Amino acid sequence: MEQTGKEKSLADQLYEAQLRKKRLFNTNVTISWVVLLLFLLYLFSGTSFNIGNLEFKTITLDGEFIRENLSFVASGIWVTIGISFLSIAFAIILALFAALGRLSKFPPVFALSTFYVSLIRGTPLYLQIMFFFLALPQVGIRLPGFWAGVFALSLNYGAYMSEIFRAGISSVGKGQREAALAIGMTQNQVMGRIVIPQALRFAIPPTGNEFIAMLKDSALVSITGFVHELMWRAVKVGRATFHNLEALIMAAIFYWIMTIIFSYFQNKLEARMARGER
Amino acid sequence: MSAILRISHLDKFFGRLHVLRDISLDVNRSEVICIIGRSGSGKSTLLRCINFLEEPSAGEIEVEGLVARAGAKGKEHRELIHAIRLKTGMVFQEFNLFPHMSVLENVTEGPITVKKMVKAKAIELAEMNLDRVGLLEKKNEYPNRISGGQKQRVAIARALAMEPRVMLFDEPTSALDPELIGEVLTVMKKLAKEGMTMLVVTHEMGFARDVADRVIILGEGNIVEQGPPSEIFSNPKHDQTKALIERYRSAEN
Repeated sequence: MEQTGKEKSLADQLYEAQLRKKRLFNTNVTISWVVLLLFLLYLFSGTSFNIGNLEFKTITLDGEFIRENLSFVASGIWVTIGISFLSIAFAIILALFAALGRLSKFPPVFALSTFYVSLIRGTPLYLQIMFFFLALPQVGIRLPGFWAGVFALSLNYGAYMSEIFRAGISSVGKGQREAALAIGMTQNQVMGRIVIPQALRFAIPPTGNEFIAMLKDSALVSITGFVHELMWRAVKVGRATFHNLEALIMAAIFYWIMTIIFSYFQNKLEARMARGER
Repeated sequence: MSAILRISHLDKFFGRLHVLRDISLDVNRSEVICIIGRSGSGKSTLLRCINFLEEPSAGEIEVEGLVARAGAKGKEHRELIHAIRLKTGMVFQEFNLFPHMSVLENVTEGPITVKKMVKAKAIELAEMNLDRVGLLEKKNEYPNRISGGQKQRVAIARALAMEPRVMLFDEPTSALDPELIGEVLTVMKKLAKEGMTMLVVTHEMGFARDVADRVIILGEGNIVEQGPPSEIFSNPKHDQTKALIERYRSAEN
């Protein structure tokens, strides 16, 4: 390498300038994030400062309360994740059937699918959870809070996710079906062996996004009062001694961290799926 | 010679468009037929009606004594179509390999899923057919990792693994870069030499001249002219045939 700075080609120079610009942008974003985070921490540090003769005090958190209740609140994380995993699994199955129904040429099946999606999307998730937990016992169906929550979340997300799966199935080209039919496959074999496996690949990244949203929507299940997930625990300890501020901040941090972690994996998955059309 | 495939009075409409008009055609065992014609002449539709990827509007398709009638409904008809599809292999312009399966799995898929063949036997059969098209060493690759010409050869192996009696080629080289056409045509020539009955919709005049036993000129849904390639190419009778051959000549030069 005998090239000096002056002898570098124009393309190299432009490319390096572009890289520098991008790196500078990323660095500045990171610094800003840290500043914002520090500011937030300072806001809750309990220290005081003066501007002229006026004394200001930042918000004071009860450290002892947090230390005492941290593990109690934190143990709700597993319940939150459990609800979310179960619900997303059921939701995927429901969404797949709803999507197949939506693509069906048989009117009753098409109607059933669109009816389900319309009904669920037309009512609040909060109402659906309450319905499973409070309304169903009136007709003799008693569900534990956990399962009422899981069923409501599954039905709700299944309806919304049916659109993802419909897009996935539609993304599989007509030629794929024809090739499968030409080697003698039945319609069911074409679906099961050729179309759905490819549709699922297409649907994996958006399903990851739905799971991350579900993590937070699962907090609504706490209203049943019988599911000891993150939100329920935060509200319980907060109310008992009027430490709602500390308790909710704890829960918020846990939700946020979970979201960051799962988003990280989600992004990796998405990048991998985008790279290889395997 | 007995006909292995018989098309009788076939009509096909797309909406109000009359694509195929009363086509009748007997294909003999081991015969290689090239179907040529302008785009929109109905040549692909004709091929696709044989295995009912397009439902014919009228007429009959007979493959080795199995007769399927256009417009028939019900379980018996569906079983007939299924049986005809088992006797016919199809190769598409766009290859249509299954992208989520390896090359080997593409070829074993039909025998395992459709014929319920045991896996070990299906693999043996698939490897034999991949070897036939010269791609055994690519068996563990995925379709997106091989060239267009290789994809089409895998597609041919996939069709052959079902041990069809008739092979239908729907413009097998039209989606290929010019330098990749040769390898596919070579495989097809080999098949013809082995005695496979073939119907080939193509623009490859050289292939038609060298390999076909009969050339069929299709125009506006009719068989305009047919005969051995020597006759069709050196002494075309119909104006449409002359124009078509003239156009291919000028394109080749």
